[in-house]
Formats: sequence, C-alpha cells, structure tokens
Amino acid sequence: MKWQNRSKYIAIPLTILILLFLLFPFFVMISTMLKAGEDVYATPPIWIPRHIEWSNFVTVWTQYDLASYFLASIVIAVGATALNTILCVPAAYAVARLNFVGRKFALYLLLMIEMFSPVIVIISLFKIVTRVGLYDTFASLIIMDALFTVAFNTWMMNGYFKTIPKDIEEAALIDGCTRVQTITKVMLPIAVPGLVTVMIYSFIFAWNEFLFGLSFISSKNKMPLTIALYNFVGRWMTQWQYLCMAALLAIIPVLVLFYLIEKRLVAGLAGGAVKG
Amino acid sequence: MGDATFSLRRRLWNPEARLAYVLMAPTILFLIAFMFYPIVYVFVMSLFKTNKLSQLTTFVGFKNYVTRFKDAEFWQTTVRSLYWTAIGVSVKFLMGMLIAILLNVNYRGRKLARMLFIIPWASSVPISALLWQWVYHPEFGLLNHSLKATGLVANPPIWLGAAVSAFAACVWVDIWAGIPFFALVFLAGMQAIPQELYESAHIDGAGGIRSFFSITLAGLRDLILISTLLSAIWTFNDFNVIFILTRGGPAGATNILTTSVYMSGFTFLKWDSAAVQAVVTFVILSIVSLVYARFYFKRERF
Amino acid sequence: MKKSFLFRLAVAVLILAVLIPAAVSAKTKVTFFWAIYDGLTEDFRASLESAFNKANPDIELQIVPVKWDEMQNKITTTLAGGMPPEISVVGTRWLLDYMATNSAAEVTPYVSKATLDNIAPGAMEAKINGKLMGIPVAAGARILAMNTELTTKIPATMEEMRAEAKRITKPGKVYGLFMPGKKHTETTDFCYYFYAAGGDYFATNADGSYGKSTVNSAAGVKALTFMADMALKDKIVEEGFTSLTRIEGHPVFYTGKIGYVMIGAWVESGMKAANATFKLKYAQIPPFAGRKQAGLIITDSIAFFSKAKGLKEAGKFIDFFYKDEWKGKFDQQIGFPPVTMSAAKAPFWQTPLYKTLGQAALTAKPWPLIEGWDEFNNIIWDACEKVFQGQATPKQALDEAAAKIDEARGL
Repeated sequence: MKWQNRSKYIAIPLTILILLFLLFPFFVMISTMLKAGEDVYATPPIWIPRHIEWSNFVTVWTQYDLASYFLASIVIAVGATALNTILCVPAAYAVARLNFVGRKFALYLLLMIEMFSPVIVIISLFKIVTRVGLYDTFASLIIMDALFTVAFNTWMMNGYFKTIPKDIEEAALIDGCTRVQTITKVMLPIAVPGLVTVMIYSFIFAWNEFLFGLSFISSKNKMPLTIALYNFVGRWMTQWQYLCMAALLAIIPVLVLFYLIEKRLVAGLAGGAVKG
Repeated sequence: MGDATFSLRRRLWNPEARLAYVLMAPTILFLIAFMFYPIVYVFVMSLFKTNKLSQLTTFVGFKNYVTRFKDAEFWQTTVRSLYWTAIGVSVKFLMGMLIAILLNVNYRGRKLARMLFIIPWASSVPISALLWQWVYHPEFGLLNHSLKATGLVANPPIWLGAAVSAFAACVWVDIWAGIPFFALVFLAGMQAIPQELYESAHIDGAGGIRSFFSITLAGLRDLILISTLLSAIWTFNDFNVIFILTRGGPAGATNILTTSVYMSGFTFLKWDSAAVQAVVTFVILSIVSLVYARFYFKRERF
Repeated sequence: MKKSFLFRLAVAVLILAVLIPAAVSAKTKVTFFWAIYDGLTEDFRASLESAFNKANPDIELQIVPVKWDEMQNKITTTLAGGMPPEISVVGTRWLLDYMATNSAAEVTPYVSKATLDNIAPGAMEAKINGKLMGIPVAAGARILAMNTELTTKIPATMEEMRAEAKRITKPGKVYGLFMPGKKHTETTDFCYYFYAAGGDYFATNADGSYGKSTVNSAAGVKALTFMADMALKDKIVEEGFTSLTRIEGHPVFYTGKIGYVMIGAWVESGMKAANATFKLKYAQIPPFAGRKQAGLIITDSIAFFSKAKGLKEAGKFIDFFYKDEWKGKFDQQIGFPPVTMSAAKAPFWQTPLYKTLGQAALTAKPWPLIEGWDEFNNIIWDACEKVFQGQATPKQALDEAAAKIDEARGL
C-alpha cells in the first residue's frame, strides 16, 4: 500500500530520535562499563574512556561467578513463565468467552491480588513457603513470581481473546470442534501476539525480581542474578564499572528471548480466517 | 430454549459454567492457596498492635487508623501517591501508544528497533534506578555534563537535591521503565485489527489520523482499559524507584504511600502502621478499579 | 475432555510437588549470614566455608553472602517467618530490636572463653545489661582526612577547620569540605558535629535508661547551624551535596576536589578504587572550641538467634573464624582495625591511618544503644534535609525532630 510505504519515512527518523532519547542511560552504562577506576570518577565526566578496560568483563564474570547466578535466574524465569502460561490461558478463555456465575467476581479477585505490594505480604508468604518445605528451592521463587503475575496475565489474555471476533469460533464449533479445541486450534494461534506479550512480561518479572530472591534463598547456587548485581553496591563504595558490565550482561537473555519470539508479533490470521 | 425463568441450578451448573469452573480452578486455587492468609493477615494486623516480628499483641480496633489519619504527613504522602500515579500512567500511556504506532510500520530493521525499545523494561527496576542515580550525579553524571556541553541547558538542576526536581527525576525513571510495557501491549493488540478495515477506510477517503481514532483506538479499547488500570496499580505500588533514588527525601518530598509502607515495615519495624497504610492503598486502588470495572463491564460486548 | 483431564493431572502434580517436604540431612546445619563488606572477596568466603566444613565433618556450614543494605531486611523476613539463621553479621544496634522479641541469644554459652578473651575490651559494645549479646566483628572510628595538595593544616577546633576550608575554597573548582546532604542509613555527618559540640542524643534518667530526646539541645542546634552555615552561607561544600549520600559523595574527595572529609577506615581502599594520585593526611575530628574531643565509633557484631537450632555448632565456627589466620585476613581485606588483640599486632596495621583510627577509638562515642534507632535516624535526617533545603531553621527542625522522636517512643 503506497500510503503505508510513505509512512516509513516519518516513522524511521522519529523512531531513531526517540530511541536515542530513551536509551541515554544505556549509552552511559556502556561507557561506564569499559572504564577503569580513574575514568569512572573523571571530572568532568567523559563519554569515551581514555583506555578501554576490557578486563572488566573478565573480572565480573570470574571473580563474581556470574555464570551460576545466570543459570539460577534462567531456571526461575522459565519456570515462572511456564507456570504462568499454563494457569492464565484457560482462565482467560473462561472469563472471555464463557458466561458463568461468579465471572465478574473472579475478575475482581484477580485484580485484588495485584493491589498488595509484595512488601507487606512477604513475611506471611515466607511462613507459608517454609511450612510446605520450599525454603531455599527454585520452586519457591517460581511460585512467588507466578503468584504476582498470573492475575495480570489472565486479564491481558482476556483482553486479547476479546479482540478475536466471535464468528471465527462459531464457525469452528459448527465445524465440529469442542470448546477446548477451539482454544488450542483457533483462539491461541490468533492470539499469539497476546501470548507473546504475556510470556515476555512473566519472564521479565521473574528475571528482575529482587525481594523474594533475597529472602527465600540461602544457597549461593540458587541465588538469582538480581542479587548478584547488587553485590557491586558496597557499604562504602559502588563499583560502577562492574555494576554496569554485569547489568548489561543481565539484559542479554531477555533480548535473546524477545528476538526469538518477536516474529510472532505480526498481524495475525484474524483478518482472513472468517472468509475461510 | 426461550424459557425466561432460569432455575438457579441451571445457572450454576450448565455445561458452559462447568467448563468455566474447570478452566478457572487451577488459577483461582493457586492464588487462594498462597495469598488468602497473607492478605487477610494484613487486614488483621491493621486492627492490632504488633511487635517487631509482625506478630499480633493487643487488639486496638480502629485506633491505628485514627492515629494515622490524624497525621498530616500521611495525607500529603497519599496525595503525592495520586499525583505520582496519574502523571506516570498518562505519560507512559501516551508515549507507549506513539511508539507502538511507530513500531507497527513495516520496514527493514524493525526487529532491531523493537528489540532496542524493550531495553528499559528488560533491566530490573532496582538496577535501573541505580543506573539513573549515576546518570543524575552532579559530579560524575553524564546527564548534566552533556546538557551543559551541548549547550542545551546552561544550568541544569541538581536533580535529586531539591524537592521538585527530585520528584520529576523519579517520575521520569518510572515512566522510562514502563513505556516499553505499554508499547508492547498496544503493538500486540494492533496485530489483531484486520487490515481490511484500514484498507476500506482509506478507500472511503479517511486520512491516517481519522482511521487511527476510529479503527485503531476502537480496536484497542479493551486493552487500553486493562493496561491503564493495571499500570495504575503497579505505578501506585512502585517503591523501588523512589526508595533507591531519594529514600523519600529531600525532607519527605518524594515520599509516597508505598515507600512509607516499606519504611514502616522493614526500617521502623512498625508493622501495624505499615498494615494500615497497605489497607488504605488497597481501598484507594479498589475505588479506582471499581470505577474502571463499571466502564469495562458496561461496554463489554459479550 | 482430554484437556480437562490433563489439567487435573497438572494440578495434582503441582500440589504434590509443593507438598513434598525437604530432605533431612544427618549433619547439623549452621547458616551464617555473611555481610559483604567492600574488599571482601568471594574466594575468601568460599574457602572459609569449605575449610570449616572439612575440619568438622558432622557440621554443614552455609555462609550466605548478603549485601549490607539488605541484611536487615533479610534477617527481619527470615526471623519473622520462623526460619532465622544461626548467626549473622548485624549492626550492633539491631540487637536491641531482636532482644525485644527474645530472638537474640546470649553469646557466652556458645563461644569459647579463649576467643572472647582475645577480643579488645573496648570493642565489646554489645554488652547489654551485663550480658554479651553479640561478638564484635568490625569496629571503626571516624577520622578527618585531608588532601595534602590542598591543605596540610590539622585543625584543633571545628572553627579552625571551617576557616581553613574557606581559605582553600575556589567555587566551581575546589571545595573546602564535604558533607553528605541526602538521607542514608547513618546519621552522619550530623553526628560528628553533634558529638563535637558535646551533645548527646538522649537525656539519661537516674536509673540509667534513656530519657527524652535531646537532639534539639544547644549542642544540636549549634552543630546543625554550623553545618548549614558552612554549606549554604560560606559555600565551602559543593552545591550538589543535597543530592549526595556518603557513598555518592566521597568519590568526589577521591578525585582531589575537596580539602577535608570526615571518613572511616575505608578511605584508602576508596582512594585505590578511584585511582587517586594525591597523598592523604589524617587527624582527629576536631571538637568545637571549648569542648572535649569526641568522635564516633561504629561496631558491627555477630548475633546468635535463639530460635535457630545449631547454636552450639555455630559457636564452634566462631572459634574457628576468630583465629588469626582467618579473622586477620578478614580484617585486612575489609581494611578495618582488628577487634582481636592478637591480630592487631600484625605489621599491616602499623600505618598512619590505623594509628589515627586507634587514637580516635579512645575518645569516640557510639550511637546510643536504643531500640528503634532507625526510625530516629530517619527523623533526624528529615530535619537536616529540611534545613539544607532552607525550609526550616535548625532550631525549628530539631525541635520538631525531638518531639517526633519522643512521640515515637511513647514519651
């Protein structure tokens, strides 16, 4: 479409401008992570280090054993995302398409859970977790992360399911599908962009979660990455160059995940499905 | 069947409802199993005096609430929370929408652009707050240095050093970290809007702006309602940004309800006070949600 | 209905997984929350842990590294949640909060007399009501450090320091003094000036307990007025100080732009990290004219938690840890003067910095040993910030603070 092609001449420069503005702190991060001590504290501050301290990468990785923290965070984030998805998709379908007593109540209940900041409930949750014997396990963090995101995810999937016209489903039902099959064969494929959003959100939440990781784990090999990053903030001094280096490394898996599923974020099959 | 009088049994137990209960059960049971006791305990704590381990000592009824409501600072903090939320959510929403539109346009390199936009959100909030603290530093921070060097702002403020600029600085970090969420939500939602709608609107002579309002916004309406409500709840409860940047200072100028809850609980070990504030938070957010819910359910096409 | 069966199965599995109890081990488990001091390496922690475990096969020691600022948080959660560690590094003050709920155990039954006798009596701050409730692990007094390229004058009084700082100040380039203006976990630098003015935070009752807050006494007002005047009138503190905590501000000293700074034992490792090139000179934090020298000393302790199980074994670990080969190395890594008398003899500590620190410790006062100190710290900081922002006079702000502190204590 010609008008669509022309719009990219506005879109691209505007996008670049906004990106430069938004990513400013990341340029600072990259600049800092390549500096040695005296450049970090140069006054006035400098963008380009006088000599590039590549060894920061080695220091951060080996001296602080980042690999084990990475692994722990991956286990937790993947687990939380999986748990989340299994729980929220059926629930969202029920809320979006089925009429039942307590539907509004369920939606409201989900919202209510979100209103309590983890800060005020963490001690009670800790008691529950220790009582079921999950203290110092990955499962405890997976459950906590899922707990605080499943409500949102259900609401969001509900919204995405709602954007799919009912006719598609009715067509499928007439064609002989069961209700459950319509979820897997019809709704999910079309709502894939929504599913992508929900999965990314769950992953990011679990990947960046700090409060529970701090208190629920005592074995070092189960500690998530967010705890490791904080080790560069000392009591008397912050080691900015190492913090920035580690923080950058911490972002990479999220970007990788996004890269892998980004292609699902394209206009779905909703447009053509009804005709077929 | 056309029968106007549904028996209660029929309403509760028809095949549609049964399926719904089965589908909802895992989620609802999961949430209740873990969150029932903690949430109830928060309410109970607010009616008791607690010791430093958050155990209940003496029942005092609503006395905790009365003490809290008599404190002028509490009201200032609450109002500030509302400002914080309103400003944060609106800017995040607007910028998120703008970016979603931009990222929806098809061009080579769009994938890279999308990946780059995710970055503020991909980094954990405490770490981002620390990074911004570094950026805002009056001596070593590259923000003021760049502003001065490029001549954009001759005399940039000491961001975290004065009440108004500190608040603005904190609000900005919260917005900055939350924009990608909105952008992603809207972008995903735009994918479900059929292309034909745009095509036929174009044929009918509607310009880009007109079709944006009538097609895009209409198609995203549910998502807009849901995402702004959820963002309002999270923004209200976002304590990391402020706590790390200013600890609620200078002189309490950036203190919001949620940072106050954290400090009452973990710093002062006054759990009854924290619980009272958490309940107030809950009430405020519930009112907001109820208003939203009326909007949502009224216009819901079911 | 295949899907609903799958769901029911998944739920059953989830419930089972959640209900499986943790495995029980034959060894006694000891958990030690290890505060990550700047300079302490992960290698050291790991080697300490494995060395002890090897020497004691019937004990399983787990040294959990925790960042300092989060330590209190983590202890509160695990303690309130019913699963405290056996031992943990704590700020000595926190012991009072733990004692209030009977969570802290007296140390003497668990640690050998030999270890306790080796500890310098002056460091035993955790002796509360005659009982030793914590073993000192790090103790540091505060001193005055100066950039010799800007000044070498050792001030005998605060007023002299101010005059000299004013002399060397060149606005925009060099500043005479640094003080943090943003709230952080310690009540410094106000405390330095307050003690230097002869002030005390609380009145003492006849029975020795703490009375009303005296932060708004003449000493307090004098101290805060002095600080505000130096910063706002004389402008010998850089303008951005209201946005700088101690951690953010001291690096400015390391870059050579500041003449005087009140700082602790970490100053040399800080200088090294910033690759500073100038030489330092140390002195005592001066008193105000007509007052006696009174600096600040801060100790951290290791607390034993009464609700944990492996306390005897934890005591064995303390005996192991406090031997010179481990504790001495610990002290050298973090740069704090040793609390054990044997380790203090090492040549590492015979430098000007440590001599000055040692002298400071003789006349230094600790924080008041009172419950709820963190809340009072917060209140006092709010008062200081108000003054630095120009929203109140020192007298107004401190009067308000004293009233709030009394109210918080129910007085």
